[in-house]
Amino acid sequence: MTLLRAEDVTLGYGRTPVVHGVTLDLAEGGTGLIGESGSGKTTLARAFLGLLTPMSGNIWYGTQNLRKADRKAFRADVQPVFQAESLDPRMRVGRSIAEALPRSGRHRVPELLEQVGLAPDLATRRPHELSGGQRQRVVIARALAVRPRLLILDEPTSALDVTVQARILDLLAGLDTERLLITHNLAVVERLCRTSHVLFAGRVVESGPTADLLGRPAHPYTLALRDAVPKLGGPPPVARGRAEARPAPSGCPFRLRCPLAAPQCERAPEPREVAGRRVACHRAEDVLAGS
Amino acid sequence: MIEVRDLQVAYGGRVVARVPELDLRAGECVAVVGESGSGKSTTLLSLLGLTEGADVSGHVRVCGVDVLTATPRELRAIRGARVALVMQSPQAALSPTTRLGVLMRRALRLHGLPSGERVLAEAAEAVMLDPGILRRYPHEISGGQAQRFAIALAIALGAEAILADEPTSALDVTVQAEVVGVLRRLREERGLALLLVSHDLALVSTIADRVLVMRDGTVVESGPAAEVLSRPAHPYTRELLEALP
Repeated sequence: MTLLRAEDVTLGYGRTPVVHGVTLDLAEGGTGLIGESGSGKTTLARAFLGLLTPMSGNIWYGTQNLRKADRKAFRADVQPVFQAESLDPRMRVGRSIAEALPRSGRHRVPELLEQVGLAPDLATRRPHELSGGQRQRVVIARALAVRPRLLILDEPTSALDVTVQARILDLLAGLDTERLLITHNLAVVERLCRTSHVLFAGRVVESGPTADLLGRPAHPYTLALRDAVPKLGGPPPVARGRAEARPAPSGCPFRLRCPLAAPQCERAPEPREVAGRRVACHRAEDVLAGS
Repeated sequence: MIEVRDLQVAYGGRVVARVPELDLRAGECVAVVGESGSGKSTTLLSLLGLTEGADVSGHVRVCGVDVLTATPRELRAIRGARVALVMQSPQAALSPTTRLGVLMRRALRLHGLPSGERVLAEAAEAVMLDPGILRRYPHEISGGQAQRFAIALAIALGAEAILADEPTSALDVTVQAEVVGVLRRLREERGLALLLVSHDLALVSTIADRVLVMRDGTVVESGPAAEVLSRPAHPYTRELLEALP
């Protein structure tokens, strides 16, 4: 049984839906949500955190509907890690962490700091006295304070320098907590998530084992993403299709950007099993053959 | 086109960038890489005399003008027209109440250049923008389009070199690939020189001819990009490369 599951979830702000009918399970070994700005990945993360109620469909927390679930138990199981700027600037970081602990557990602050690779005496510092990487470690320590089963990480390293990012990724990879990772950085997903879902315009367009997805994409958007990422010493990044065309209002949302768009793409593709993953594309076989 | 020797930039007695040697020739791409606070942006700004309040010493020659001793008038003649600056978020520099076409025409007139429809359309097409975009306001275009408009402006003004500070860091990867494609094509077709400041070593490895690695205001390693990024000699360059996820 997975800890969290989205079932045909539509999410939006006001009356405007931005995530459309998404179904996905959190898998063991890390789950990645990949997509560009505006693809709906943070919105989906907010719903998984119980911060946004679906317009339709359900989020399941074990066997309970998250809407009616015991919030206290849920908060102890599922913790968010956002970018480091989520610390109170006026509070000493030790106190920020202690707030997440019951009064009787406050002696654990030094232990939590050590768990994330920080010296316990940093507890008396305020956020501005720490580096970006140290602040992000404090955010992680605070999330770990309640011994959660799942961390929901939204772009946890995007604002950090690469050498700092590398150390935070090592830290996250070494934790025995499950994770849902939201990022636009494919390399980070490859490192931390065995399973991935690619979002485009609020729809999951491809899901499956990360290595298969990025090794041999079956959706043209996954392929465009993979080939656009520059690789050290590799060929120049390739722009496939028109990256700035808007999502199509009907049919396949990717068709106006897609170099393989065909007349059948005016009908919305149903997700189907192709080569060990689920993909929503009429031309998945052609994409696979070319990737 | 750009020649730097023993450049030193200091704020209040504290040296923030020290560059012994940097050359940029026509059609070439030189990248300055490093982490936050390494001095890479300061280096770039000092080439156009834009480090206000700083003590700058050394020798900086840009398009035949000695930047450190030039009059404001001499600097104006190279800024924009011969060497253009492209920043991370050009939208912040575009007047929100002015259509892009009007903005471009104004820049051309300021430099005493022809500003007819044809010139504007050609500049837009050179960066693969639909000329129709020139009727839009800055908030009506995407980040990638804004970045290409900034490059189009440089092309319209006849710039020979572009100094770009993290030009694609705020863009999605697919859009980044398009912008990088435009820059590469302009280099090949027009001999445009590119000085690229970036934290992205992978990106740099795909377009730069030469690279300078900076740390804490100092150049720790420099040389041909292929050489430096495949056989780094300095431990810090190695650390940066190993940190790539």
